[in-house]
Amino acid sequence: MTVSCRDLQEALRTEEPALLGEIQVHALDCERCREQLRIWKEIGEAAPLLRKSWESQDLWPRIRRSLEAESAKPSRARRLAILFRLPPRSLVPAAAGIVLVLAAAAGLLVFRGDPGGRDPLVAGAWRYQDPLLTDEAFDEVEKREKAYVASIENLARAVRPRLEAPVSPLLVSYKEKLLLLDGAIAETSGQIEQNRYNTHLRRELLAMYAEKQRTLQDLMKEEQS
Amino acid sequence: MSAKEIVLAGEDGRSPSREEERERIEGFQSGDIEAFEELYERHGPRMKSIAWNLLGNATDAEDAVQEAFLKIYRSAGTFRGGSSFSTWAYRVLVNACYDLMRKRRRRQEVDDIASVEHPRTPAVDHPLRVALEQCLARLDPRRRAAFLLFEVEGFTHKEVGEILDVPEGTSKNLLFTAKRELQGMLWKSQAASASAP
Repeated sequence: MTVSCRDLQEALRTEEPALLGEIQVHALDCERCREQLRIWKEIGEAAPLLRKSWESQDLWPRIRRSLEAESAKPSRARRLAILFRLPPRSLVPAAAGIVLVLAAAAGLLVFRGDPGGRDPLVAGAWRYQDPLLTDEAFDEVEKREKAYVASIENLARAVRPRLEAPVSPLLVSYKEKLLLLDGAIAETSGQIEQNRYNTHLRRELLAMYAEKQRTLQDLMKEEQS
Repeated sequence: MSAKEIVLAGEDGRSPSREEERERIEGFQSGDIEAFEELYERHGPRMKSIAWNLLGNATDAEDAVQEAFLKIYRSAGTFRGGSSFSTWAYRVLVNACYDLMRKRRRRQEVDDIASVEHPRTPAVDHPLRVALEQCLARLDPRRRAAFLLFEVEGFTHKEVGEILDVPEGTSKNLLFTAKRELQGMLWKSQAASASAP
């Protein structure tokens, strides 16, 4: 086989010994390929020199303090209770109630087979033959959720400049509440990524978004009044 | 023991047994801070190095490592295996670095690795090392991460794939593209300096 300059990149990509050997022979008479091969080799040799090492005496103590602060923070259930102004213990019956209502609604929809359901989150599922939720139905739900979330993010963008430099204690408390909500939203979204079929978490997430929407709207009203 | 085995084992070079790994994971999941201290002692130096090379300075690198530990602490309970806990921890770190890069971009901060502090390097400063570092800063973050993890830190393609959440083949492609771009940049800069009077 006769190799040319055009085969150089392929040889480097595949690292096939036979092809590399032929390219090296070709490079003896081709200055350009010889240079390219030299640089390629030098990159590999110099790379370990990029490893960084420095003393940071205070990094672990800083991390430890932040982990301890995190462990002292109220649990997610407690944070939700604070957000929704409920005593933490009432969250369990409240969650059980929501699950019961959801199960009853799902049962009605499945067994009645009524395609005229009004719930925008499940209406799309009726386009599919299988009455139970499918991946396609979930995609539809997620699409609708994304549109809903995008509209809330638009609201958030509108108030962001005022929250970046809050001029009153009220704005500071709105800012803190929104930060808390964003943290809880991020945490729940992460858990949903692990199990996208977890309806309870999805409802929890939607409730958080609804609370965020209410908070943003209250904030805008405050600003206007 | 090869460099890649040392990476898996941590700084002390000893591979944990399956039982030890399981105990450690239980420690992380129960929020045992001592388990996190051990993780920091074994992997902290490498985590700092990766973060420095992705972010370009020691301050941001330390912030990213701290943020990564906080995220690991918060979500250790969701770790379901599939990769080793330390590989998963590096994945959290790389994502924390990406988040920091995005925040920095939003703040319109100047991201010029060439102009920032240089911590202690293994040998007397090497002109190729400096040139390589400057070229690396111009790469797309994913390619830069693949290059750093494989060529600088010694992870295998399987591990790089797990850390970057891409298939092994994509890791190989990212590395090849990164090296090809670096080769082009270095070639141009060497040609320019050779032709300079």
